[in-house]
Amino acid sequence: MLSVNILLFVCLGYVALLFVVAFIVDRRTRRKPIRWLHSSVIYTLSISIYCTSWTFYGAVGSAARNGLEFITIYLGPTLVFIGWWWLLRKLVRIGRAHRITSIADLISSRYGKSPSLAVLVTVIAVIAITPYIALQLQSVTNSYQVIVGGDDGTETAFWIAAGMALFTILFGTRNLDANERHHGVVAAIALEAIVKLLALIAVGVFATFIVADGLHDVFEGVSAETIQGAGDIFGPRWVTLTFLSATAIICLPRQFQVTVVENIEERHVATASWLFPLYMLGMTIFIVPIALVGQSVMPAGSNPDLYVLTLPLAENRNELAMLAFLGGFSSATSMVIVAAIAASTMVSNHIVMPVALRLLPSRAVSGDVRNLLLTSRRFSIAAILGLGFLYFYLSGGSDALAAIGLIAFVGVAQFLPSLIGGIFWRSATRTGAIAGLVIGFALWAYTLFLPSFDGHFILSANVIDHGPFGISLLRPEALFGLDHFDPLVHAVVWSVGMNALCFVVFSSLSTPDGLERLQAALFVDVYKSTTGSASNISAEVADSEDLFVLAQRILGGNPAKKLFDEMAASQGMESGLPHPTDAVVARLERELAGSIGAASAHAMVTRIAGGQTVSITELIDIADETQQVLETSRQLEEKSAELERTAQQLRVVNDRLRTLDAQKDEFLSQVSHELRTPMTSIRSFSEILMKDEQIEDKDRSRFVSIIHDESLRLTRLLDEILDINRLEAGVSKLDLIQIDANDAVHKALDTIAGMTRSAGVKIRTDLENGPLWIQANDDRLRQVLINVLSNAVKYNLAPLPEILVRTSRIDTFIQIDIIDNGGGVPPELSTSIFDKFARGNRTGRNHGAGLGLPISLAIMRAMKGNLTIEVTPEKTTFFRLSFESATT
Amino acid sequence: MVDNADLQLARRKIRDRSVALLLVGVVLLMPPMVRIAQIDTTVFGLPFALVYLFSVWGLLVVGGAMLARPLRDGEKPAGPPDRDNAPN
Repeated sequence: MLSVNILLFVCLGYVALLFVVAFIVDRRTRRKPIRWLHSSVIYTLSISIYCTSWTFYGAVGSAARNGLEFITIYLGPTLVFIGWWWLLRKLVRIGRAHRITSIADLISSRYGKSPSLAVLVTVIAVIAITPYIALQLQSVTNSYQVIVGGDDGTETAFWIAAGMALFTILFGTRNLDANERHHGVVAAIALEAIVKLLALIAVGVFATFIVADGLHDVFEGVSAETIQGAGDIFGPRWVTLTFLSATAIICLPRQFQVTVVENIEERHVATASWLFPLYMLGMTIFIVPIALVGQSVMPAGSNPDLYVLTLPLAENRNELAMLAFLGGFSSATSMVIVAAIAASTMVSNHIVMPVALRLLPSRAVSGDVRNLLLTSRRFSIAAILGLGFLYFYLSGGSDALAAIGLIAFVGVAQFLPSLIGGIFWRSATRTGAIAGLVIGFALWAYTLFLPSFDGHFILSANVIDHGPFGISLLRPEALFGLDHFDPLVHAVVWSVGMNALCFVVFSSLSTPDGLERLQAALFVDVYKSTTGSASNISAEVADSEDLFVLAQRILGGNPAKKLFDEMAASQGMESGLPHPTDAVVARLERELAGSIGAASAHAMVTRIAGGQTVSITELIDIADETQQVLETSRQLEEKSAELERTAQQLRVVNDRLRTLDAQKDEFLSQVSHELRTPMTSIRSFSEILMKDEQIEDKDRSRFVSIIHDESLRLTRLLDEILDINRLEAGVSKLDLIQIDANDAVHKALDTIAGMTRSAGVKIRTDLENGPLWIQANDDRLRQVLINVLSNAVKYNLAPLPEILVRTSRIDTFIQIDIIDNGGGVPPELSTSIFDKFARGNRTGRNHGAGLGLPISLAIMRAMKGNLTIEVTPEKTTFFRLSFESATT
Repeated sequence: MVDNADLQLARRKIRDRSVALLLVGVVLLMPPMVRIAQIDTTVFGLPFALVYLFSVWGLLVVGGAMLARPLRDGEKPAGPPDRDNAPN
């Protein structure tokens, strides 16, 4: 047996450790955020407060009683997390955008920041989680008694409740965080999550492999009925339980707290979407073996809820029993801490604050609101644990753990219609939400919650069995004669069903007011909306001074100053308070909402502003207008993009036209210039011949021959111009025949042999073997070759001028390269050399009209070939004629 | 524009896959399909019902893990990443 002293010592030591962790994390975070603490793993571990002592102890009990049914409690959340993209992501986005502090805040915020709805949700939440907290008290009490012995559970439970209350107050209300985030607490519950997982796996391994002889031994001779439970396991109860657990993972105030409120980064949800199901898988993998081993080893009549603890004790493994106790203790404390924090936040924000606001004078709120908030939270925590203890005391603490937990699940499931409807259905109204919640809550209390006291509270045993006033149709567990259900299924069908029905019917019958419509739009379209703030304070009447005082009271001196400095700076002011513009008031309301909830923040800011509000219809109009403006501007953007594209195309075309026009002008002036020179000499020589009678015959015949030569040159020039125009316009079609490129080269070289000889240029050839068939016009190709070759001769200024003519076949191309050793065309001229009347700037012995290359290019193009200037590896340039190879 | 369309298609495919995974989970874990688990047999000495339920669960975890990152990354450019961002 473990002694009481050791047990208490270990427990206190463990609590002290948690404290140290929370304290250090809180202090370090305030100075500089600790990165790994803001990781998705810590986020996931904090969500695992879903696995309370109900899981730790109760799941084994449930498995021993009802077989695999316990697994539904984890399948529901698994499905919700697998589908995180549709629901959880939106909840987290809304929670961040609107600085939601609790589920009550979310629902009241959505339905027009309604204070009455916030109170209703808070009351339901507190009542609904009371059995759940009682469950934790009961399991810790039971486990304590198992180890220490003793019969009077009530006293033990009282001290445990008191200890937990103290613990939670010290943990959760040390400071009032602006974002309602508790980094220290989250770190501590993450640690507890690891402890409980390790403890349960350790007990599982112990039971499976040490007490029993491996998995085979555990399942040896186990009947299907033991595994699947008695009766139809996969019936309505299976579906109901899965639905309830899926609901609970969203609607339980503490799950909402860790999943939505404490969420630091939205992307953490993605990791949790599979890591949290994996964690639950780890928690439950040994549940069935522990239950089976417990049933075979433990004496008949022992409580299966405590197998996790009694099994190691029966085998005299005190250390393991201690670890198991700590695991259960961790499960219970982490749940109680977060649940109490979440509930106390709701109570202080939605019940205490509005009352205090009403009682305190409007402008001069005396005393520090922060203190009031913290104090009210501390009292709320104590009261919530007190209620839990009361439930434990009244219900006698005899029920199976799972049954108590399910009562809480059905209670919080009442939030589901308002929550889901609120974020997906724009027409959902406050009236609908209130109607659904009231009906659902009443039916839950009547059909499930009150009967759970077995006649010790409000409903007598007689009423439970026979209905009020003996009217059997109103029996709580068989309302209107629906008695062929399991009581749980019955309660869910009635409460959640009627809740959803009333919600839809009353929503469709009622008309939302302005603020409601605005909030509905902001919540349902949260991915489209921007910051999601709706200020409805008339800016002129709000006084910066008053707003500042308000902020100081709620946020505290320094954070308020920081906030106002920031806002002043954003208005471009170096000192002083910011102008109370709409943006400033909206931002302040948002910041305050992070501390005291949207409804209270709205009420306070409105009071400071003298109760003057902009007409809500005006606000809606503004919102609608914004939407319209956004839509119009989107369309305009599309149009202007299209116009821009068209304009761009026009610009390109225009540029080309301009270039062509300039080229044409230049061509004309070049042509005139070229024509002018021979014309001038013809005119001047003919004038001499006409006027001067004394000219000698010798001179006369020389002049006539000059005139003749110039006329020829003129004719040639005109022919060339006509030729190039025809070629470029595609007017003159060339007859293409199949010819051998090598043959053409030989013929061309023969033609200019005289010229090369007289110029002293050496010709070398390097011709590819065999005929190189191309489609070309024989005469025209020779014209091109002669032109290029004669250029190479004329402009070659090397001391020993030399020309290499090379033919080659590359893939399907035939190339004729004409390479001279005169340095080639300078690369910068390689494109302009093909312009009409362009001449290389190599000073030559001879000048042509400058039409040779353009004509050659035009001919080559007309023959579907090309004439290019290529660069050798030695960086000199040469001409290349290329053709497509003709098939033989 | 082509890239954008391709990207959108890829994102939609990821979202479709996540719906499919959710559907597979719901169908396999809810009646009537879940009654498969009642086949009276054992797998390596373990009752089939146990193996079936934990296998489906494990499948969901693996599927979820594979889809989590693409879903998360695909979303970023689509919406404002943080509450303080300007309209996108």
